Amino acid sequence: MKPALFDFAVAQSLSDAQSALLGGQNKLVSGNQSLGPMLNLRLTRPAGLVDISRVPELRAVEEHENYVRFGAAVTHAEIEDGEVPDPTGHWMRNAAANIAYRAVRNRGTIGGSLAHADPAADWVIVMTGLCAMAVVKGAAPDATLRTIPMEEFITGPYSTALGPEDILTAIDVPKPGQGARWSYWKYTRQVGEFAKASAAILIDPANNRTRITIGALGRQPALISNPETILDGSKSPMEALSVAIPDQPATALHLHAVALSRALEQIKVAKEFSA
Amino acid sequence: MADGQDVKERSKGIGARLMRKEDDRYLNGKGRYVADIRMPGMLELAFLRSPLAHARIISQAKPDQTDSWVFFGRDLDGVSGIRAVSGLPGFRPSTQPILADEKVRHVGEPIAACLADSRAKAEDLAEKIDVVFDELPAVHDMTKARDKESPLLHEDWEENSFLESNADINFEAAIAEADVIIKRSFKTARQCMAPIEGRGLIAVWDRNLELLTLYSATQMPHIVRTGLADCLNMDHGQIRVIAPDVGGGFGYKGILLAEEVCACYLAMKLDRPIRWIEDRREHLIAGANCREHSYEITGYAKADGELLAVDCTAIVDSGAYSSYPFSACLEAAQVASILPGPYVMKGFRCKTWSVATNKPPILPFRGVARTGVCFALEVLLDGIARELKITPEAIRARNLVQPEQMPFTNITNKFFDSGDYPEALKRAVTAIDLDGIRKEQKGQTGRTRIGVGLSIFCEQGAHGTSVYHGWGIPMVPGFEQATARLTPDGGLELRVGVHSHGQSLETTLAQIANTEIGIDPEKIKLVHGDTAYTPYSTGTWGSRCIVMAGGAVGSACELLGERIRKIAGHLMQADPADIKLEGGMASAGRSTISIEEVARTWYLKPQLLPDDVDPRGLDVVAGYKTTKDTGTFSYACHAVKVEVDMDLGHIRLLDYVIVEDAGTMINPMVVDGQVYGGAAQGIGTALFEEMCFDASGQPLASTLADYHLPLASDLPNIRIEHMETPSPLSRFGQKGIGESGAIGPPAAIANAVNDALSFIGAEVAEVPMTPERVLSAIAQAEFSKTTEGDVA
Amino acid sequence: MTETTVDLVVNGAPVSELTEPRTHLADFLREDLLLSGTHLGCEQGVCGACTVFVDGRPTRSCITLAASCKGAEVRSVEGFDDDPLMKALRDAFKRHHGLQCGYCTPGMLVTGYDIVRRLPDADAERVRKELSGNLCRCTGYAGIVAAIMDVLENNPPAAKVQPHARTPQKTEKSAAGSIGTASGVASPAAAERNVPASIPAKSSLAGAPSLSRTIRFNVSASDIWAIVSDPEKIVSCIPGGQLDSITDGNLLQGKCAVSMGPIKAAFAGTARMDLNEAEKSGHVIGRGKDGLSRSQLDGMLDFKMTGLPEKGSELTLDMVYKLTGPLSQFSRPALVAEIADRILDQVAASIEALAKGEDPHETQPRNLNGLSLMASVFMGWIKRTLRFR
Repeated sequence: MKPALFDFAVAQSLSDAQSALLGGQNKLVSGNQSLGPMLNLRLTRPAGLVDISRVPELRAVEEHENYVRFGAAVTHAEIEDGEVPDPTGHWMRNAAANIAYRAVRNRGTIGGSLAHADPAADWVIVMTGLCAMAVVKGAAPDATLRTIPMEEFITGPYSTALGPEDILTAIDVPKPGQGARWSYWKYTRQVGEFAKASAAILIDPANNRTRITIGALGRQPALISNPETILDGSKSPMEALSVAIPDQPATALHLHAVALSRALEQIKVAKEFSA
Repeated sequence: MADGQDVKERSKGIGARLMRKEDDRYLNGKGRYVADIRMPGMLELAFLRSPLAHARIISQAKPDQTDSWVFFGRDLDGVSGIRAVSGLPGFRPSTQPILADEKVRHVGEPIAACLADSRAKAEDLAEKIDVVFDELPAVHDMTKARDKESPLLHEDWEENSFLESNADINFEAAIAEADVIIKRSFKTARQCMAPIEGRGLIAVWDRNLELLTLYSATQMPHIVRTGLADCLNMDHGQIRVIAPDVGGGFGYKGILLAEEVCACYLAMKLDRPIRWIEDRREHLIAGANCREHSYEITGYAKADGELLAVDCTAIVDSGAYSSYPFSACLEAAQVASILPGPYVMKGFRCKTWSVATNKPPILPFRGVARTGVCFALEVLLDGIARELKITPEAIRARNLVQPEQMPFTNITNKFFDSGDYPEALKRAVTAIDLDGIRKEQKGQTGRTRIGVGLSIFCEQGAHGTSVYHGWGIPMVPGFEQATARLTPDGGLELRVGVHSHGQSLETTLAQIANTEIGIDPEKIKLVHGDTAYTPYSTGTWGSRCIVMAGGAVGSACELLGERIRKIAGHLMQADPADIKLEGGMASAGRSTISIEEVARTWYLKPQLLPDDVDPRGLDVVAGYKTTKDTGTFSYACHAVKVEVDMDLGHIRLLDYVIVEDAGTMINPMVVDGQVYGGAAQGIGTALFEEMCFDASGQPLASTLADYHLPLASDLPNIRIEHMETPSPLSRFGQKGIGESGAIGPPAAIANAVNDALSFIGAEVAEVPMTPERVLSAIAQAEFSKTTEGDVA
Repeated sequence: MTETTVDLVVNGAPVSELTEPRTHLADFLREDLLLSGTHLGCEQGVCGACTVFVDGRPTRSCITLAASCKGAEVRSVEGFDDDPLMKALRDAFKRHHGLQCGYCTPGMLVTGYDIVRRLPDADAERVRKELSGNLCRCTGYAGIVAAIMDVLENNPPAAKVQPHARTPQKTEKSAAGSIGTASGVASPAAAERNVPASIPAKSSLAGAPSLSRTIRFNVSASDIWAIVSDPEKIVSCIPGGQLDSITDGNLLQGKCAVSMGPIKAAFAGTARMDLNEAEKSGHVIGRGKDGLSRSQLDGMLDFKMTGLPEKGSELTLDMVYKLTGPLSQFSRPALVAEIADRILDQVAASIEALAKGEDPHETQPRNLNGLSLMASVFMGWIKRTLRFR
C-alpha cells in the first residue's frame, strides 16, 4: 500500500518546526521508521509531515556535569557506535545495538521513538529505567524548556505528555554515580521484534537512585515500589508484579516475572560503573 | 572412486557442483520481475477488498464521474467465476467471484477494481467507494464448520464441507493384537507462504495480433492460460502468458487469481496495459493460505514396538473457495494416502473432511499435506515409544520399510521406488550424536533442558497421471515435453513449460543437456515461462521439475543427438552409431568435428549434405514420462537438538542434521540449497508462522511484524548428509527433492521439545510451538502433577 | 497535491525529479528513475529487500521518503560496478549458492557489504544476527551466511562506500516550506459517508473482548441515573463522543473519535439505548464505522445503578466490543484492550465529574483496575513455579 496524500516540509530550525505544528494538522517526523509503516498502511493520515531530522538544535549533544543532553534527532546507530558520548559507560550503547535492525537504527532516532511511545520500544523502558528526563519546548516563542521525568512523559500506549504544539527537543540522561549497576533484560523470540516482556534495574547508591522498571506492558512502563525488597530477596518477582501489574493476563504476568528474574540475575554480576 | 569423484568435480554435466548461470543478473540487480516492467499508457490497479469475513453486499456505489476507472462485478460482462471441481464423488463445487457483488466470504476478497496512473492514486480512488454490507456470522473454526448451527458459506450446500472421504484398509483385523493404543490430537496452524516477491501482473491487449498477453508472477503459466481462457470465454490462441523472473513461489504462485482474470478483462475493455502488484498486506490478509489441519489420531502397537495400525480423523480448513487448479481437496487426499509414512503397517483407517470457512482459500504450500501428516504420525510414534519405554530410534527402525523390501508397495498402495530408510535413520542418529546427548541429559537439573528429536519421512515427487486422477484433482499431468534446438552457432536452446524461480533449472537442465550431447552449459540457453515459446506443461509444483522437465530435456537432447550424429556422420564419413558427443565436439575414433560446424552446415551450408538428408532438422520436441507414474520417493531423516527454556517457553535449535536421499543429484549445490531453504520454511512452520483469525474471521496479521518468518538468527548451521540411491523410475535416477526440507522440521522439533520435557510428561501437540503453547503444555503437566501430589 | 522537487545523487549522478511527497525512496528509484534493482517485499520496514545505501548507511528505502533525502547520496545495487568489495561479495554469493530466486539479493548485498565493512571480526553467529533484518524465503540463509563469512575471512577489499559523517549542522534561518494546508486530510464527507444505520445483533458480539467496572459515588443513585439515562449527558462522557441526533426515541446517531498515537479513527454510526427505569439499568448496543479505513466497531454496554445502604450509590458497567477491518488486523490485541480500558476509565471519571457538577472534559481518568479472568491452571502453575524464585 502507498500512503494517503500529505504535504511535506523540511524544518531547518526549531522555530520552523514549531510554526508548522500550529493548527494541529501536521506531524513531526524524524527517522520515519515507526511512522513509515503506518503511513504506508494508511493507518495514519497527517495533513502534513515536517521532517525535523536535520534541525541543528535537535542534533546537538551537550555534556553537562551530571547529565548528557541528547538532541531528539540523534539516531540509535550514533548511540550504538559511540559517535555521541554515553553517560552510562556502555549501557545506552548496548541497548541501542539491540533495537530493531541496523538499517532501522541508521535512521530511527531516540526522540522519535520516545515521542511515538510504543509500549514495547526499548528507549521507552530504558530511559524510564535510567531516570532520564524529557526536554520539551512549548509553542509560545518565549516558552522555556520544560523537563519531565520519563515516567511522567510516557502516559500510555502511544501517548505522551506532549501537547499538540509541543516538541520533544532533547533527552537528559543522568550520569550514574561511582559503583552504580544496571541491567536490562528483554524477551524477544526473534532478533529485532517488539519485546514480549522486559525489565530494567538501576542501582545507583551514590545518587540515591534505585529503580526497577517493567516494560512491554501494552502501556507505559511500570515502576516497582520498594525495589529494595526485591533486590534483597524478601519479595519474589512474582509477588511484586502481582501487586504492580495485577491486570496483566496470566501468561504476560508470568513472562514479566521471568524477565525481572533474569534482570536480577544479571545485576548480580553487572560491572560497577566508574566514571 | 577418487578418480570418479574427480571427473565429477571437473565436469559440467550431471553431478557437477556447477555455479549457477542465472546468478549474474540477480547479483547485479538486473533480474526482471513483473513489477520491473512498464508499458506505455499503463494504468495501475488497486482493489477495494472486503473488510468483513462474511457479509451480504447490500449496495455498491462509485464516486462521481469514476465510471471509467472503477469497476464492480456487474461491470465484467461475460466473465465467469473461478471453478475448480474435483472429480471425486460427493464434491461440492464453489464459484469464486472475480469481483464479489452479492456476498463476500473472506476478508480481503476483491469487490471493486480501481484504475489510476499510479498505485497511490488508485488506492485513493478505492477509498471513495461506498459499499454497504449486511454482516453475517463468520465460520472461523474448522472443527465446528460442519455443525448444524454453523452459517452456510455457500447457501446451496447442506454443510460447510467440500468433500468427505473414507479409507479403511484391513483396520479392524489389524488392531486385534494391539498391546497399546495411543491417542493424540494435533493441529497445524494456518500459514501464509510469503515469498518475498508477492503476486503481480501486467495485462496487455494487442489489437494488431488480437492477443491478450499476461505477464504474471506465476509458477505455471500454461495452467493460468487455460484458466483464463475458461473464465474469459476466449480461445487459448488469443492468450499468451509470460512468467518473467519470479521472486519465489513455494506453491503460492500456483493458483489462478481473480485479480488476473479481472485485470485481463479490463486491459481488453479499456485497451490499456494494466498492472497490479500485490502488496504485503494483500498477501497476508487476502492471499491464499495453507497448512491448517487438525488430527485426531490413534496408533495401535504391539509391546515390542511393532506398529499395527493407524486410525485418523483429519480436518483440513480449505477456506472459502476451491482454488484453481488444485481444488479444495488435494490436501485431504494427500492426508488419507500419505499418513502411513515410510512405515510398514497392517491396518489403516482415515476419515477426512475438507471444510469451508470464512478464510482465504487454501493452496498447496511446499510439502503440501506431508508436513502436517509427518508431524502427526512422527509425534504419535514418539508417544507410543514413551509408553512402551523404547527409544524413538528403535521404534522407527522396527517399523521402517527395509531396503531389501524395495521397491515396496505400502498399505495405501504407494510404490516406494528405492532407498535405504533405516540407513538414513542410523546416519542421522550418529551425526546428531544421540548417545552424547543422552549422556548430557543425565546431568541436567533446573529449568533449561535439552532434548533431541527425530523425524523420518519419504516424499512422493513427480507423481503423474494415475495419482492425480485418483485424487480427483482437476489438473492431471501427463507427458512432460521439452524442445531442444541447436542454433547455427552450435549453441543449444532448450524450451520447457515449467518455470524456474529459484530452482536453478537454467543451470541444472543445461547440465543434463551437457551430459547428453556435450555442449558447454555456457552455450545453453533455457527458455521458460512463456506460453508462446514453450511446450504445454502443468508447471512447477509437486517436486516434479528435475524429474519431468529434466527427463524431457534428456529425451529431447537424445533425439537431437541422433540428428547431430547423422549429419556429423556424413561430414566425417563415420557411422553415426560410433559418434560420441563430448566437449562440444562430435568424434568417431580420431576424427572430430565441432558441433558448431554441424549446426552451421545444417542451417547455412546445406550444399554439403546429401539429398536424402533427414529433413526434420536440428529442432526437436520430445515427450517424457517416468517408467511408472507413481512418483519418485526421496526420503530424509531429520535430527535436531533443542534447548527449552521452561520459564519462557522458548525453544532454541542447537544443532540440526538432515540425511537426505535425492537419488542421483544433478547438482549437489542446488540440492543442498533446496534442502536448506525447505528446512528453514519447515522451521517456520514449527516455531513461528501462524495466521490467526478472530471469531469474526478477521485475520490478525497484516504486516510482517505480526506474521513471523524465520530469520538468519533463528536458524542453526544445518548439516546435510547425502545418500544417493538412484530411482529406477526416472531417466537419470534423480528424485524430486524440492519440498523435502519443509516436511521434517515440525515433527523433529516437537519430538525434541517433548523429549526435553519428558521428565515432567509435557507434550506439545500444536505448531507453531510458541512460548504460549510451550508454557501451557508445561503448566498442564506440572499442575496436574502438583495437584495429584496435593490429593495424595 | 503539489509535487516536490527531489535533488539528490544516485549512484554517483545528480538527479532532480518532481515527485509527490508521499513517494518513498524505493518507488522513487524504481518508478521515477527506472532503477528496478531495488525490490519491494513488504513496504512495512521489515523484510529488508529494499535496503540501499543513503549517505553510505544501509537504509530501508520503503520507509524513507524520497523528499527526506534531498541532498543525500543514494547507492543502489546498480551502482557498484567498480567496487571490489561488492565484487567479492557477488562472487562469494555465487560460490556459496547464496541466492535462489534473487529477489532479496540486492538488499542482502547491501547489508552484507555493511557487515564486512563495519564488523571485520564478526563470527557466523554475529553475521546471522546482523542479517536478521533481511528476509530470505529461498535459501534458509545458509549460503548467504557462508558467503559473507568467506569474504570476511579472506582479506576483504577496502569498502569504497563509507558512511558520511553526520555532524550537527549550523543553525540556519529559513522558511519551513509551504506546510499548513490540509489537502491530505480526507474531506469530512468522505469520512462520514455510509454511516451504518443498522444495529448489530447481540449474538454477533459473542466471544468478543469484554471489560467491567464498578464505580462508587457519594451521591444518590437517582442523581447518577439522571446522567446515565440521558443520552446527551452520557455521550458527553465518552471521550471523542458526539451525539448528532435521536430518532424513534432511543436510536442515537453520532460519532466517536478514537486515537491510538498517530492512528486516528472516527467511528460514526447508530446505537440503540434501552432503559429500565424501574431497575435503573440500561442496555446500549451500536455500530460505528471509520469511513476511511473501513474498520467497524460494534459495542454493547450494560449498566446498572444500585443505591448503597449507607449513602451514595454504585454503578456497574459491562462493555463488550468487537473491532473488524484493517484496524483490527494486527497481532497486538493488548494494545487495543488497553485503549478500550482507558476509554472506559474516562467514561467512569466523566460521569463522576458530571455528578459532582464539574466539567467532564477537565477530569483525569482514575486508574481503576478491571477484573481479568485468568485460567486457573495457569495461575496455579505460575504461583507454584515462581513462588520461591
